[in-house]
Formats: sequence, structure tokens, C-alpha cells
Amino acid sequence: MEAYRQEIILGAVFLYMAFCIVTGIWAMRRTKNSSDFFMAGRSLGPIVVSLALFSSTLSGFGFVGGPGLVYSIGVSSFWMVVISSSGYAIGFFLVAKRIRMIAELRDCISLPDIVAARYNSEAVRFLMAVTIVLGVMGYLATQILAMAVVMQAILSGTQMFAEISLVSCVVISSAVLIFYCVTGGIIASVYTDVVQGSIMIVAGGLILITATAVFDGGMQEATSIILANDSEAIMPFGSAGIMASLGWFFVFGLGLAGQPHLITKMMMNKDMADNRTIFPMSLFGYVMAALLWISIGVVMRAAAIDGVIDPLQAPDDAASVFLSLFANPLLAGVVFAGLFAAIMSTSDAFLNIGTAAIIHDIPKAINGKSVENELFWARVVTVLLAAVAASFALYSYYLDATLVALLGAFGWATFAASIFPVVAIGLNWKGATVPGAITAIISALVINFSVQLAGISIPYGISGGLVAFITSLILFIGVSAVTKKPNIGADIEQVLDI
Amino acid sequence: MSNKLISFIFALCLSLGILLVAIMMAEDVVNSAGVAHPDIAGMTVGGDGELRLEHIGQYAFLFQSLLMLLIICLCILGVSPRHRSPYFYAYMAGCYGLMLFIWWQMYFGHQQFMQTGQLSYFMGFPTPTAWQMYGTWFGAIPLMLIYTLGFRKFIYTHADDEAFQALLTEHKSPTSP
Repeated sequence: MEAYRQEIILGAVFLYMAFCIVTGIWAMRRTKNSSDFFMAGRSLGPIVVSLALFSSTLSGFGFVGGPGLVYSIGVSSFWMVVISSSGYAIGFFLVAKRIRMIAELRDCISLPDIVAARYNSEAVRFLMAVTIVLGVMGYLATQILAMAVVMQAILSGTQMFAEISLVSCVVISSAVLIFYCVTGGIIASVYTDVVQGSIMIVAGGLILITATAVFDGGMQEATSIILANDSEAIMPFGSAGIMASLGWFFVFGLGLAGQPHLITKMMMNKDMADNRTIFPMSLFGYVMAALLWISIGVVMRAAAIDGVIDPLQAPDDAASVFLSLFANPLLAGVVFAGLFAAIMSTSDAFLNIGTAAIIHDIPKAINGKSVENELFWARVVTVLLAAVAASFALYSYYLDATLVALLGAFGWATFAASIFPVVAIGLNWKGATVPGAITAIISALVINFSVQLAGISIPYGISGGLVAFITSLILFIGVSAVTKKPNIGADIEQVLDI
Repeated sequence: MSNKLISFIFALCLSLGILLVAIMMAEDVVNSAGVAHPDIAGMTVGGDGELRLEHIGQYAFLFQSLLMLLIICLCILGVSPRHRSPYFYAYMAGCYGLMLFIWWQMYFGHQQFMQTGQLSYFMGFPTPTAWQMYGTWFGAIPLMLIYTLGFRKFIYTHADDEAFQALLTEHKSPTSP
């Protein structure tokens, strides 16, 4: 079997991609209008929503960057994982109920639709839509690049595709992504998420078992090796230090309820009462998949220190080197398919919300109405958005990484700082005002952009995202408290009372 | 009650902001955010743990204690004031107590290791790290339990559902404005 390792991995990835294409064709028959395309007609069951929610949370970053972070900075990055229980709790307590009610009441198909209804303000809708488009471009470009790099690594290991270029890999992987997103919209996206999420859960569990077998003494031997080399790396705050760790706890925990691609999924369930099962199921899925992050990272750091393996060329190689050295070829096939699943499940969610912002929200904020024939334009813009993001990815890889890095800064932290106060608190506090919302969004964007552009380094590993998040929270509540309450609709008032 | 709660949340956010400024202004140490591993490229080490916490340890402990209180308060904000019974508040206070206990064990377990060098293991990890990894995650599980098991009592009661259905009917009727 070892002799066919590359063919087995390639076969698993090919099967997975074929499944995505078939799902796209199947979902196309169920997509009859823009509400189906963006919201799946608000008809999804709890298992589908749970798997879609957690698989979108854990992107390629979790499968590639996560183990790399543990290799590089030790336990510090665990804080991004252990916060999941608090993060999902905040998301469900603050957002799940009211976002679902407003979506049904006002036939909302996007997050900017929700905030426009809540604040009765097109300005807030516009700012929210622009933030989403900027963030989506950065996220999508990095995800497409990651997908292409992994595909090139797999294909170049075979004789037939040994010389395949990165451009070809970008085209192939983007084509599959675009196909199922264009044909089936969010319906294809969430149903592929079901399989993607299932693969990620299985991969996480199997990798934990494999990782604990690398050292005779299991995980304890691995952590002892790290401890002997540098105790801080395996202590609760890792080598990045206490404030970097607590900052991630804050930004990743509270920030989960500010991620548009996640909370949009809270608008899609058929029955409100399903939330009580969606919450634990999503959390279980996330934790199982995150086992891969922690176990590979710890074992690879220990193996490099102990001389079991040569030091990695780059920390992000941790997962792929682990799979090639320690995993059974079949498991490697499942995990590589899981890696594509992780990347694609996040990418399709971003494509969907980015398209909604462009064809539905920005025109509505400017002209008072969205474009005619939304379904047609949704499909056209999905292709264009993916094509532009793929171009950004290639431009960044071959010419200049600054642009994507800058847009990448509009990642999790910017969404968290700009969207969390406006949505999560705004849906639960009648005193939230339009000036408060606008101030919070703008301050979050300005601080995150400034820190990134100016290359500001804050002492003790404090991130710009943490500063932006706390500032936007203070400004949102403070400005709202001293400005005039918006004249919101009677129906929205009633929803806020329930 | 919601006004008092949002004022308290505002005060918490302000306190977190002030603590953050205090930490930024504290004397920095060379390994505060880690330094490059002497032998392995791409890897960082933390170095002297006591030195890293010397100027900011108490601020950081307080920061996390307040952050966990903020998490609890935000969860309370998500529950309609009508459903916030004394039992609910007591339960949420218990949740905070549990989270604080775990944080205490983690932080002072780390301190104790730095002072004595003595260490035990739990499920593959040094005990302070086990408190961080398993404890922090399980510490918020009671929040999931009250959401899931108390859904019809605190989150979305049958009366809430009836009120929402009535609102939907009224809003979607042809005579609705």
C-alpha cells in the first residue's frame, strides 16, 4: 500500500471533488430563486446546520496553520481552540434566536439585511456590506492559494503531473469551487459542508490516535520533550506569552459571534427550537476536528526537538510532513480530502456572503433596491468574485504579497471587532443607535488597517485585533448611550422584546 | 434591568481597555512574546517565565478574570429580562465561579511550577496546561447545558413562540402596513 501512497491520496481528493460537482448539479434543481441561493429557503435541519456551522469555522487555517502554530509557538495557539465552548455559547445566546426571527419576519437574505432592519438605516447596511466584501476578498484569496499549493504538492508527487504549475492548480481547484457554488448556491454549499464536516471529524479522531503512537510514551512523552527544551512552550501561555494567548481567547471567543459566514448560517434553520441541538452538535464537531490541530502540532514540535525528524522548512509544513512520515496512506488520503474540505467549506461560505453583499446589499443601500433578476446576477458575481480572488492569490504568490496580506488583515479580527458589537449586542439592546454602530465599524476598520499598514508592534504580543475589538465595544456602547435612539420598526421592537 | 446590565458590560469593557493600556505601558522584557529558538528555525521559545510575568502578571490575571465575567454577562444579555429568574442568575454565577476556579488553577499552577520546578501530568499534558486545555473548554459547557436543557424555560419559551407566530401572522397579513 505504501508504494501507492500518492495515488491513494490523489484518488481520495478526486473522489471528494467529484462529490462536490455532483452535489452542485443536484442542488441546482432545488435553487429556484435568490432566497434559495443565499438562504436555502430557511429550510435546513439541525444536522445540516451544525455541520455547516463548524466546518465553516475551521478553515484551511485550522488544518494547515493550526499545527504550524503549535510547532512554532507551542501551547499559545491552543487558546484559539479551547475558546470554542465559550465562543459558541456567546454566539447562540446573543445571535441565534433574534437573527433567525428577523430573517423570517423581514425576509432577510444577508447579514446587512438584518442590520438594516434592526437599525432602520441604509448607512449601516452599506458599511456592513463593504466590510464583508473587503474581508471576503482577503479570506478567499488566501484560501484559494492554500488550496492550490496543497494540490500542487499532491500532484507533483505523481509522474504524470510532476511539472504541474501553480496556475493550473489554482484553475482546477477554483473551477470545482465555482462550479458547485454557482450551480447550487448555498444549498450546494451546506450539503457539501455536511460531508466536509464529517470528513473533518473522522480525520481529527484518527489523527489523534496516530499522533499518540509516534512516541512510545504517547502524548506525555512528547510534552515532556518540549518541556525539557523550553518549559514555557508547553505551559498554559506558550512561547508567545500571556497577553498574546488571552488576546486570542478574546478575539476568537467573542469574535465568533461576529463572523458573517457563521452567523449567516444561524438564519437558515427550519425550526427555531433546533438551536438547542445545533449548539452542542457544532461544538462536538469543532472539537473533534481541532484534535488534528493540537495533536499534530505537539508531536511535530517534539519530534523536531528530539531529532526524530529534521526541522521543518516552514512551520506550515507540519501537517503535510506528519502525514507523509507517520500516517497510513489511507488515513493520509482521508486527511488530505479533509484539508480540501476545510478550505472549500469556508471558501464557499465567503463566496456566498460576498456575492450577497455585492448584488443585494450595496445596490439596496445606494438605490433603495437590489438588482433585477437576482438569481442570474448572483451566479455571474460568484464567478467574478472567485476569479478576482484567484487573481489576487496568484499576484500575491508571484509578485507582491502586500495586497493579500493587507486584505488578509481583514480576517477574523476585523470581522469580530466591526460586526460583533453591531450585531451581537445590537440585537439584544434596544439602546443601540446608528451613530454607535457606524462608529464601531469605522473604528474597527481604521485600527486594524493602521496597525497592519504601519507595521505597528505592540508590547507583550498584544494584537491590533484585540485593541480594535475592545475599542469598538467601548465606542459602540458609549456612543449609543449618548445619541438619539433610532426609530426602529414596531415589529423589530417586538422581536427585541421576545 | 437590561440598562443596568449594559452599563455593567460597558464598565467591564472600559476596565479591560484600561488594563490593556496599563499592560502596554508596563516595562517590556525581551522575551515577553517569545524569542527565536537557538537551534531550530521557525520555532520560538518563551524563556524565563517569571521574568515575562514580572511586570504584568497581576494585570493579566485580572484581565482574564474580567473577560470571563464579560462572557457571562453577554450570555445573560442574550436572555430576555422576563426569563432571568433568581435561579437563572444563581446558575450563571455558578458558571462564573467554575470558570474562575479553572483559571485560578491554571495560573497559579504555572506560578507554582516556576517557583518549585515540580510538576505532575494529567492526560498527556503538564497539569497547568491540562487545566488550560481541558478545563477552559469544559468550563463553558454549563453554558451549553442551560441553553440546551433550559431552552424552553430561558431562551425561547412556548409563550415566546406564540408571540412570534402572532407577530409573523400580523406582519405578513395583506392589511399589514
